[in-house]
Amino acid sequence: MGLPLFSAHSDPGPSFFHYAEMTGLTSQTGLAERDSAHATTVIAVRYVGGVVMVGDRQATSNYIASRDVRKIEPADFFTALAIAGTAARGMEFIRMAQLSFEHYEKMTDSALSLEGKANYLSPIIQRNNLTTPLMVIPLLAGWDPSHQVGRIFEYDGAGGCYERLDFATIGSGSPFAESTLRLGFRSDLDLDGALDLGALALYEAGDNDPSTAGPDFVRSLFPMMVTVNEKGFQELATEEVAERFRVINDRRTQSGGIPGGTLR
Amino acid sequence: MSMPFYVSPEQLIKDRAEFAQKGIARGRSMVAAIYDRGVLLVAENPSASLYKISEIYDRIAFAGVGKYNEFDRLREAGIRWADGTGFTYSREDVDARALANYYAQHLGDMFTEGQKPLEVEILVAQLGSSLRPTKLYRIAYEGTIADEPRFAILGGDAETIMARFAEADETVQPLARTLKDAVAALAGPERTLPTSDLEVGILEDRGNRRTFVRLTDQQIDELLS
Repeated sequence: MGLPLFSAHSDPGPSFFHYAEMTGLTSQTGLAERDSAHATTVIAVRYVGGVVMVGDRQATSNYIASRDVRKIEPADFFTALAIAGTAARGMEFIRMAQLSFEHYEKMTDSALSLEGKANYLSPIIQRNNLTTPLMVIPLLAGWDPSHQVGRIFEYDGAGGCYERLDFATIGSGSPFAESTLRLGFRSDLDLDGALDLGALALYEAGDNDPSTAGPDFVRSLFPMMVTVNEKGFQELATEEVAERFRVINDRRTQSGGIPGGTLR
Repeated sequence: MSMPFYVSPEQLIKDRAEFAQKGIARGRSMVAAIYDRGVLLVAENPSASLYKISEIYDRIAFAGVGKYNEFDRLREAGIRWADGTGFTYSREDVDARALANYYAQHLGDMFTEGQKPLEVEILVAQLGSSLRPTKLYRIAYEGTIADEPRFAILGGDAETIMARFAEADETVQPLARTLKDAVAALAGPERTLPTSDLEVGILEDRGNRRTFVRLTDQQIDELLS
């Protein structure tokens, strides 16, 4: 790669995606290979001081392809980005997003706004999903430093971006996670309440959806739990996550596997 | 049909060099110096938004003097090159030496073939790691590239400033001392530079992937006091 100089009228500006498109760094479109590994259930829940995200660790093609995939990554200091759908394209998408936010910051010496980041991802999703069957659905959650709130943005398959004021889910286990969240969500959730609800929602998805893994006590592999708030992106330690799932699991064992009609 | 006058190659190069030097001398100078824990970049710059010093990559910084629009374009190209290389290969494959060479080639091309030579002098600084050493690459308007061992001065009055800085700092020093001596060298004996006229950036390991940080006026004051 030589020195990428552009004249003023053809300059791609601070957008790494547009630069990558111009120089052929982005992946091919129009390929039709469906049998690739898929990543599943991730949820985001808003609480009073930010957003909690929980995601399972399993990638599934015909069989289980991997048990320890990371589907939630920090996109930058204040933003978490999760993916569901084709793993290969999803991982590339996360890389593109991370790099784009940093690229913008370096080029302009100012960070993109959270809404700016959310909108920026739309055409990237659109380009992928409307030209290949290798679908990727992202979920963006972040702390908005200019408004001092946690915010969640979800996307449809065509790249449409929608802000959610309560919670959002992506992936094949969504119906079960979403049902749990619908019953358990309150607008005054504190951090602990949001982590509890998030863990339970993911537990339900893992229980009912064959492509979503719940807690794996045999291998000590647990879903990822992440908080995004004024302190930035933080991942919960494995022991803390294990403890939360152990509590749910013990309860469920005592009730003989029956959720019990309450959120316990 | 009018015949163009014959101009000898020697004269042509001399004229172009003079032109570039004049352009560079119009702007203010800067100092880049290695200190005990990183790399310091100090520029005299009364503007608080048109920067001369900038982050290129995790361990690489850029500085330019001369015509702003010309070196800013090179800065942008550098960021694109670094991010593109890191995206294609891996973050650890982004090497300042490769970038410095591309800059040198481009400046060299512009000097001999361009409509006019670029009126800039630039610096690519790299903070060392287990993979690569700490380096200061200075690239002049005609594409000459120099690998400076401890410090580099860019700009019109480079020789005087260099003499002053070399006298003050004979070995690698801590950040505060290096900054003080760099500012004194830029100012000279007759002037004192107010903090608002200083632009300071450093490359230093602080446990983060990205090592570049721009110092605020308050941080500069604390280091200078």
